[in-house]
Parts: sequence; C-alpha cells; structure tokens
Amino acid sequence: MRNRLNRLAIHATLIAFAAFYLVPLLVVLLNSVRSTEDINHAGVIGLPHGFVWSNFSDTWSHYCIAQHCSGIQPYFWNSLQMVVPATILSTALGALNGYSLSLWRFRGDGWVFGIVTLGVFLPEQMRLVPWVIVLRDLNLFNTISGLVLVHVIQGISFTTLFCRNYYVSIPPDLLKAARIDGAGFFRIFWRIVLPLSPPILIVTVIWQFTGIWNEYLYGVTFSAGEHQPITAALIALSARLTDAPQYGEQSAAVLMAAAPTLLVYLFGGRYFVRGLAAGAVK
Amino acid sequence: MTKISRRGLLAGTAALAAPGVHAQAVKPKVTVISQWSSGPSGAAMVALGQEFEKRGGVWEHDPVPGFTTEMMNKLRAQIIAGDPPAASQLKGPEIAAWSKIAPVVDLDATVAAAGYEAVVPAELVRLSKPHGHWVALPIQAYRINSLFLSKKAADTVGVTKLPATWAEFNAIAEKMKAAGITPVANGGIRWDDGMKWEIALCGISPEAYRKAIMELDEKTLKGPEVLAAFRQCRKLAAWSDLGTSGQDYTPFVPRFIKGEMGMLLMGDWAAGVYKRSGFAVSDYIVGPAPSDDGKIVFDLNSDEFMFWQRPEPEFQAGQKLLAQIVMGKELGPLFCQITGSIPVRSDTDLSAAGFTAQQREASHAMGEAMKAGRIVLSLAHNMAQTNQITAAMIDVLTEFVHDDRISAEEGQKRLVDAVDNVR
Amino acid sequence: MSWRDRWDRILPQLVIWPPLLISCTYVLAFSAWTVFVSFTRSTLLPEYSWAGWRNYTAMLASRNWHIAYTNLFIYSGCFVVLTMGIGLLLAVLIDQRIRGENIYRTIFLYPLAVSFVVTGTVWGWLLNPSLGVQKLMHDLGWTSFKFEWLIDRDMAIYTIVIAGVWQASGFAMALLLAGLRSVDSDLYKAAQIDGSGALRTYRRVIFPTIGPIFIAVMVMLLQFAIKTYDLVVALTAGGPGLASTLPTVVVYDFMFQRGELARGSAAAVMLLGSLAFVLVPYGIYRRWKRRSYA
Repeated sequence: MRNRLNRLAIHATLIAFAAFYLVPLLVVLLNSVRSTEDINHAGVIGLPHGFVWSNFSDTWSHYCIAQHCSGIQPYFWNSLQMVVPATILSTALGALNGYSLSLWRFRGDGWVFGIVTLGVFLPEQMRLVPWVIVLRDLNLFNTISGLVLVHVIQGISFTTLFCRNYYVSIPPDLLKAARIDGAGFFRIFWRIVLPLSPPILIVTVIWQFTGIWNEYLYGVTFSAGEHQPITAALIALSARLTDAPQYGEQSAAVLMAAAPTLLVYLFGGRYFVRGLAAGAVK
Repeated sequence: MTKISRRGLLAGTAALAAPGVHAQAVKPKVTVISQWSSGPSGAAMVALGQEFEKRGGVWEHDPVPGFTTEMMNKLRAQIIAGDPPAASQLKGPEIAAWSKIAPVVDLDATVAAAGYEAVVPAELVRLSKPHGHWVALPIQAYRINSLFLSKKAADTVGVTKLPATWAEFNAIAEKMKAAGITPVANGGIRWDDGMKWEIALCGISPEAYRKAIMELDEKTLKGPEVLAAFRQCRKLAAWSDLGTSGQDYTPFVPRFIKGEMGMLLMGDWAAGVYKRSGFAVSDYIVGPAPSDDGKIVFDLNSDEFMFWQRPEPEFQAGQKLLAQIVMGKELGPLFCQITGSIPVRSDTDLSAAGFTAQQREASHAMGEAMKAGRIVLSLAHNMAQTNQITAAMIDVLTEFVHDDRISAEEGQKRLVDAVDNVR
Repeated sequence: MSWRDRWDRILPQLVIWPPLLISCTYVLAFSAWTVFVSFTRSTLLPEYSWAGWRNYTAMLASRNWHIAYTNLFIYSGCFVVLTMGIGLLLAVLIDQRIRGENIYRTIFLYPLAVSFVVTGTVWGWLLNPSLGVQKLMHDLGWTSFKFEWLIDRDMAIYTIVIAGVWQASGFAMALLLAGLRSVDSDLYKAAQIDGSGALRTYRRVIFPTIGPIFIAVMVMLLQFAIKTYDLVVALTAGGPGLASTLPTVVVYDFMFQRGELARGSAAAVMLLGSLAFVLVPYGIYRRWKRRSYA
C-alpha cells in the first residue's frame, strides 16, 4: 500500500513538473494555428477561434524578407549548410584534443586544458569585433566558411571539455597493453579510443548542433542577405517597430525553426544521458 | 563678373564630368545596409530598389534583421573589414560620429545641382552637414508628438476632440480613469519611456526642450520646465497599464481600439500599425500632442542614407543615381505612401491619392513648424544627441517611469548628473 | 633510429599541437585584445590610444553596472541552486524505475533544444500580467490571482530565473540521472542490507558518490548564467527600467548600442574577472582532490 502511494506521489510530482515544461510549447503550438487577428483580439494565450493552417505554409515559402518572398525556407537550408560541417569538424577536433590531453600526457597539459576550457566562459559580445578582424585578414568575411570557422573554433572549447573528461576514464591498462603490442598514436585512437567514443560523440554532436543552430549574433553579423541563417529570419519576423506583431506566423516560424533541434533531442535524448554519465564523472 | 575659383571649377567639372564619362561605361550599382527587412519599411525599400533598377541600376539591399543596433553592428563590421556599403541607413548626430571613422562621399555638388537644400527643413540640413558638407540625404520624416484618441473611449467619457493643452489632457485622463478606462496606452520599453517624457517637455516649452535636450544647457536642465515635464511624465506613467512594462505598445492595440485604453502618445507610424491590424481610420482620432502655449510644435524623427566612399566606378555612379532618386520629388509618393511617413521635401504634393489625411495634416504641421522655428529633434529616437548621451539620459527616464519612488525632483537631479557624466 | 620510427614520433606531434594551439591562441588572444581595448579610448571602432583606468572607473560608477552586477549574483545563485535542485529531484524520481521514463525524460530535456530568444519571448507572454497567465486566470473567474513579478522592480530578475531554470534543469537532470545510474550496484545493495531506508541510502551512499558530477553540473550552469543575454533581452528588455539588466546586457549596450567599445570591454573584463570567484576555489578543490588520491 505504502509502495503504491509512493508511486502515485512520484507520478503526481513528475506530471506537475511536466506540465510546467510543456506549457510554453503548448502556447506556441496553439498560436501557430491561430490567425494573427485572432491573437491580436483575444490575447496571446487562448484557444484558436477557428484553425488556420496557412501560417506554416506562408512562413515557409511565401513570407517576404527584404525583396525575397520565399519564406524562411532558404534560411533553413543556409543554417543546415553551416551547422553540419561546423558540428562535424568541432566534434572531430574535440575528440582529437581530448585524446591528446588525456592519454598522451605532456608537460603543461593541465594548463592547456584549462585555457581551452576557459573559452567556454567567454561571452560572445566581446568576441565579435576580434572575429571581424580575424575574418577580414583571412578573407572569409561574409561567407558561410567564415561562419563555420567561427563556430568550429568556439566549439572546440566545449567539445574538448566533454571528450577529455570522458577519455580519462578509459582504463590505462588497455592502453598499456596496446603500446606493448607496438601500437602508435593513431592506431590506438582508431582501434581503441574511437570505438569507445560513441556516447560522448553523440553528446557533443547534440550540444554543438543545438548551440550553433540557435545562435543569432554571429549569424547575423557575419553573413549577408539571402545567405543568413534561420535565426536571422526569425528575428526579421518578430522585430518590428512600424508594424503590428504577427504572432501567428511568428509561432509557426518558431516551430519550424526549432524542429531540427527538437527532433535531435527527441531521438538522441537517451544517448545524451548515457554519454553524459561517462563524460561527467570527473 | 564673379570670380570662379579654380578649385570650384575642378570640383564642378569632376562632379559633372563623372556621369558623362562613365554613364555609358558602367552600370550604376549600389549596396545598401538598413534595418528594414520586412513590414512596410521593407516593402518601401523594395519599391525604391525597383525604381533604381528601372533607371538602369543594380540594386543590392542587405537588410539586417533586428533593431538599429544590429544594423550598426553589421555596418561597423563591414567598415572594419574594409568593405563599407555604398549607402547605409543612419540618422541624427550618429551621422556626424560615423562620418569621422571612414571616408564618406561629399554630396555638396549633387545637392546644389538639384536645389535640394532649400526644400529640406533646416534641422535636417544641419544633421546632414555635420562638418559643413552634405554627407547624408534624408529619406522620410515622422512626427513623434502625435496623439491618438480611441473613439470608443472618447465616446464613453463624452469627449469629441483632442486635448489642446496638458491641462485638458489630464482632465480627460481623470475622466477616463473614473470610467475604468486605462488613460494611457503606451508601452513600457526604453524608447517609449523616453518618448513620453520628451512629448511632455516639448508640449510644455519647445524652447526649454531645445536648450535642455538639444544643447544640453545646464541651467535649463535644472529649470522649472524640465521639472514640470517630470511631473507630467509621472502622471503619464501612473495612468499606464502596469502590464506594459517591458512590452512594446503594439500588443495593446486591440484594447485601445476596443476602448479599454484611451490615449496613445506615439509617432505617427502607429496609424500604419492600426491599419495593418485591421482597424479603420474611424476607430481613432489623431492629431498633434498637447502644446501648452497653443502654438504648433513638431518633434522630428527622420531616417537618412549616408554614402560611403568606394573607389569602384560602378558604385560611384550608383551613389549618384540613388542620390538623385532620394532627392527627387517622386520619392515622397514612392516611399512614404508605403511607410506612412512624411516626405522630406516641403514642396511635395500631398493631395495625391496615395496619401492619408493624417499624413497631410502632419506634413502641413511640419511645414508650419518649420516656418515658425518650432521644430525640435527627438531624444528617444536618437535625433537630438549621439547614442551615448541619449542612452545615458534614457537610463534615467526609463527608471523614473517604472519606479514611482523616484520623485520628479530626484529624477531631474539624476538627469542633470547623467548629462554631466557624459558631457 | 629508423625513418619509420622518426615519423611515428613526429606525426602525433603534428596532429596534437595545431588544434590545441589554435584553441589556446584563440582564447588568449581574444581575451588579451579585450583587455587591451578596455584601456583605450575606443568608441565606435577600436582605436589604440591610451585611456588609463578611465573606462573602469566610469563603468564602476554607473548605475547600469551596479544593478547588473548585483543581479548577476542574485541570478547565478538562484539559477544554479534551483536548476540543480530541480534537476536532482527529477533525476531521483525518474531513477525509481517508473513507467514512461522515456516520455518524462524527453519532456524535461526538450527545452534545451529551444533558443534563448524564443524562451524569453514565450515566457514574456506567459508572465505578463495583462497578456498572460494572470489575465487567463482572471478571465476564467479567479480574479484574485496575482503574478506581477515581471513588472515589479524588485522581482523582475526572478522571472529570468524562472525562464532560465525552465530551460536548463533538463540538462542538470540528465547529468545527475546518468550519475545515479552509474553508481555501483554493490554499494546500493550493501546499503539495503544494512537496512537503511530510501532517503538515507540516497544521502549516505549515493550522493557522495556522484559528488564530482555536482561540480561538473555547476560549472556548466555557471557558464550558462554568465552568458545569459538573449533571454533577458527577449523576456524583460532589461526592465522595468533597468531592474533586470545583467552584465552581458551592459557589455552589449555599451559596446554596440552606445558606440563605446572601450567601456564595454572594461565591463566584459570585469565580468570575466568575477569568474575568478568561482574558478579559483574550483581549481584548488581539484588539486586537493588529486593530491588526496595520489
């Protein structure tokens, strides 16, 4: 009996919290199927007075940003074009760095790790102007490659942190045995470390993908016109001075823009937990 | 016989020769940065671009989503990267500040050739010629001190016309409050708070406004008019809905039209917002905000294009073409009919069909105020001072509006201190 | 030494060093540049003219900075504690082998997928007394319901805590759940044989084991808290007045809105400097831990 009461209490608490987490999503979902007039008249929280499905299609392919009336669709692909290489590169380099720092000790590696990790704390506002200067000197200003470079280098701080903390928990005996067998740097990485890495690699991929996909400041400053990422399009939809807020379309756009990251967490959630377990125990 | 200086001759020939020599060789091209990515302003830029291309140019408009700061960020980044746009949106004293950091095009010859200076309000001329030479061209103007009165709310309290003085305004507000209507429909973000205060001050005394805000005269800042503005602003804050803090005024537009909120002190772009929200012109009454001495006061806000020096001939040709379009009489109908703003040229014919009655009234007001020398520049919209000084003053004003523990005297003292610190 | 051996020795160096070097250079160079600019007279663009400590004294004297810095401590403290607490609670509850674990976990994790701007905007709607939950309650008949923190000078910063906790507690839960799952089952069984109840088991056995995870969670949450910017701008715009502004907002405001790069850089340097309050004790703790295991 006590057990059942306990179970009930646990579920009740969990459901209460779940409601707290779901309310914003519900509001956005509801608003995305209401017409803007409806929302303007009845308030931002409320049930639809008649379902409007055109918000999605309008925002996806017809909305006018600057002189391009092709909706947020091109910006979606721009984001994808930028985020995928950046995620892959920063994850790969982070794994390499983590491997180097944890399993091939050298003098001062603690300091190096500390400095790289410090990068995690730097606020993006103070990095903006230095990046402009760097990109200018590399001739990558206003290009997608430039944006990818920015995100890769910034991402390495996170990915190195995750990977290194994960790799230190690899039993040293494994490595000793491999070295006795004559394996070198790459052989060990390829044969031993990499096969053990999927949990943490999934964590870094999820983390990077979400972080870069949702990033606004650099996306807007280092790209131009129709090459901007989707965060820029979202802001174009919502930041208005001389126009009425278009809540319906804004909500639909938000849902479509968040779809990739939401899906990533939907399907990758369990791996996220698993990977973090091993990675964070130090 | 007038002496023609050799330099003037050279400059003149350079200005005149360039189009002649190059017009057949290069297609005029222009890259423009602005914050107008969507809505009516975005649509107006599209129309401007179409006109530019109709006249044989290549138009590349790169709007930066967000507000003015994001646009200036992009502009700054482009300048650092050595690739400034051919034209960028800028306004107010920022034109003077930005024109010092990278080379800008000297437009004197083009402006003189078009006879433009005579038809532009003196205040805008002054802003566009920070160091004695034209470096920017105004595109549109707005009146900040407009008052919108909800018809339904007015009917509830038995009011039929706009209050002419602040005393009348306050009386109407009291009536509305007693009837359960929120008297003031403004929002609660920084520039809105600044606007409430500045509209109060320019209605109390435009001379005091000019001295205190535009010239930062210490005596006037400490004077009775400024104190009275703080008191009036305190009233306006008390009459606003608390839920507007941190929000724009636009989410509350439906309540304003329904008559639950009574009066909005806003720039005349609000009329466009009402229209696009699906409301009719008959739902509200619009006109100038109260002016205590009964004479006309015009609080001016305007946007300009600044032209950055580019060595490429196609950009130079493009800049000339854009300048001609912007200075021409057709810019009014082309641009301002879409945005709902006031054309800059005082000789624009507003009786044409595309203009609204409200635009005509506001434009007429601007003309009259110009003649009477009663135009002031908006503080909250970065026309009166540079962003640095403006932000310091708005810090004080926005805190004042949202904290009723700050008395009017304390608010004035803080304003004086803030100005001293940044002077 | 044969050619092959020499190659085997050099190649790893060639591969190890470049990415590490680039990363270190990036962190150090950008930080150094910011520190340098904070001592110049830069306004709209960086310029390299000396200004001494002027920018620092100006920022330290400004109300914006005072309010922002105080808010930083309030916000970070509440945010880290609440996020950690809720994350722990949720992790413990889910760890009880309940049905529907996958669903709950997904529901608690998804806020991480949402951008801060969206979070701030939606919570701004929800917490606004005239637009959101309070209005809804009033419309439904519960007219004495009051939740006006968003427009209250003293409480506005806590609305940012609410939105931040909403966004990040799933992350804390995930880390802590992972930690709980990784506790040695032998330890757990031993405690049960000893006859201790659930609560005591947790307190005496399990929490100490996952102690290091707490630290890791705290570090990640701290960097969230320090870098909070989009959330504030979207939720309260720093208001009412200046009441909910944070240091990153001040940095952006001064650097880019007001065109005072040097002042903004000084604020950024001071913000990073306050990290020392946390990082130095953490560094000492880790060194102590390493020594005590050696």
